[in-house]
Amino acid sequence: MTDPFVHMENVAKRWNSQLGVENISLSIPRGSFVALLGPSGCGKSTTLRLLSGLELPDEGQITIDGRNVTLAAPSERNLSMVFQSYALFPHLSVAENVVFGLKVRKVAAAERREKLKRALDITGLLGYEARRPGELSGGQRQRVALARAIVANQPLCLMDEPLSNLDAKLRASVRKDIKKLQVDLGITVVYVTHDQTEAMSMADMVVLMKDGRIQQTGAPEDLYYRPANTFVAEFVGAPPMALIDGRILPGFPGAATIGLRAENMRLADPGTGRLTCHVSECEFLGSETFIGLSHPAASGLTVSMPGLKHIPTGEEMEITFADEDLHFFDEGGLRLLQPTGVSA
Amino acid sequence: MNAFFRRIEMFGALLLAVIWISPLLFAFWAAFHTTSDAVNFNVAAPWTLDNFRTAWAGAPWLRYFLNTFVLVTVILAGQFVVTTLAGFAFAKVRFPGRDLVFILVLMQLFILPEVLIVENYAMVSRLGLFDTIPGVGMPYMASAFGIFLMRQAFKGVPIELHEAARVEGCGWFGILWRVYVPLARPTYLAYALVSVSTHWNNFLWPLIVTNSPDTRPLTVGLSIFGAPENGVDISVISAATMMSIAPLLVAFLVFQRQFVQAFLRAGIK
Repeated sequence: MTDPFVHMENVAKRWNSQLGVENISLSIPRGSFVALLGPSGCGKSTTLRLLSGLELPDEGQITIDGRNVTLAAPSERNLSMVFQSYALFPHLSVAENVVFGLKVRKVAAAERREKLKRALDITGLLGYEARRPGELSGGQRQRVALARAIVANQPLCLMDEPLSNLDAKLRASVRKDIKKLQVDLGITVVYVTHDQTEAMSMADMVVLMKDGRIQQTGAPEDLYYRPANTFVAEFVGAPPMALIDGRILPGFPGAATIGLRAENMRLADPGTGRLTCHVSECEFLGSETFIGLSHPAASGLTVSMPGLKHIPTGEEMEITFADEDLHFFDEGGLRLLQPTGVSA
Repeated sequence: MNAFFRRIEMFGALLLAVIWISPLLFAFWAAFHTTSDAVNFNVAAPWTLDNFRTAWAGAPWLRYFLNTFVLVTVILAGQFVVTTLAGFAFAKVRFPGRDLVFILVLMQLFILPEVLIVENYAMVSRLGLFDTIPGVGMPYMASAFGIFLMRQAFKGVPIELHEAARVEGCGWFGILWRVYVPLARPTYLAYALVSVSTHWNNFLWPLIVTNSPDTRPLTVGLSIFGAPENGVDISVISAATMMSIAPLLVAFLVFQRQFVQAFLRAGIK
């Protein structure tokens, strides 16, 4: 399959006052799970709505399955959608909600019943057919929304923060269910989230956005190990990558900013460390403790220590790290492949 | 001090209620007694159904009931169609000049229907609908109040439901019919109650535009029945009045809770 299943080419959407999206180019292979990730207001939902046809772009072209659908209506794009609020019809029962689209498309009753049964079976909702959405728990409503999305066998499913209304425990289990569903059914999923854990754990491909523009597109490990710029470096990973002013680390003259992940940082014996910092906070997570460090020329310095540690705030600590674990960025925040030996 | 005021308030409410209902109670009492007993407030007088027999024989009531029923139904049906479509357009369709047109529609609320009686009369005659039930109902079908009510109800429907229906393949009418109308049911009920009671009781306009027993609604029939040239018999008129308000009164008593709840619910939105 050389042609991408979904393709966006230089798509832009502008509103008078609000920030839209600019210059969105994206190729999504068939059967993949793509996460649109970013802080709120970054344009990820707009991008999804452009794909769905609920918004039409001002510029650019969108093709789905080889068909130009730039200006097509949502119903002509052969896709299904899961909304953040689930958008279940409160006056219809679970069964009626699930087959709503089939009914609109005038699918025969027998076929409808069969597809309904299959969708309810997959989502574990058999026995709830007659309930109204108001009588279901948040997790069950979420599954009804999923059932409605898969019942018609559409090859593309768009999900707009489908887990943000669930509690943390449920979120982890539904996350696995959605991923399994996507793999089992072989559908293509485009998934909007602001939660990087969701994006990193579920997606084959992550699209990180900020201020209406794509910052980086790639596999989760690409974003983690090879962030394209300082924004990606700081957004991806928990704790985020620490950014150090290049001037205080001698030996890398081309790099304006140097990035370093917590797991690559070690405490050093007094006198042997490469940076001397002060403890600013301790965050106990069970198996480890994150120790936040402050340094006048660096941000987000965190070192991970096993087990429970209590270190008084303000105590001096020295840290060390290996050169090959460093990430280098230029003045504009873009990643440098190699720190140039020559002064910039 | 607080308790005192509360008592005053209670007393005031009771007083108003008594003043309000006393004509109805008197009419009810008079309808079941002879005229002289009714006028002289003879409490011990025997009850009788003669007034109803006399009244029933005096006019084609069945025809009047049917006319009123058809009139109220035609108006309500017309109002549902017009207010649904207009309310939906004002709530969810973007078109140039929408706010201006909506203000023009709302201006209708400031104009008393009586002011337009002559113009409406001329219009209905020109349309050839004089002395027909559609002619009586037509001026009320594009109700500004109804349009406003429906617009508010439709505005309260979450946009995600609209979008979900669009993704599932609904067109404008499909969305309206499958999503908005079912969700606005409490509003439709509240509006139906107001509309039915208003037009069941409406008098002046039907009096002017109807001319024959075939189209006359109850109110007009009752006024002709009770007109002085037929001789004033309080008891018989009371009996006729009781007959004409009975269906509405019974309906109100039966649906009392829904009536009040419908208004609360429609108001909250």
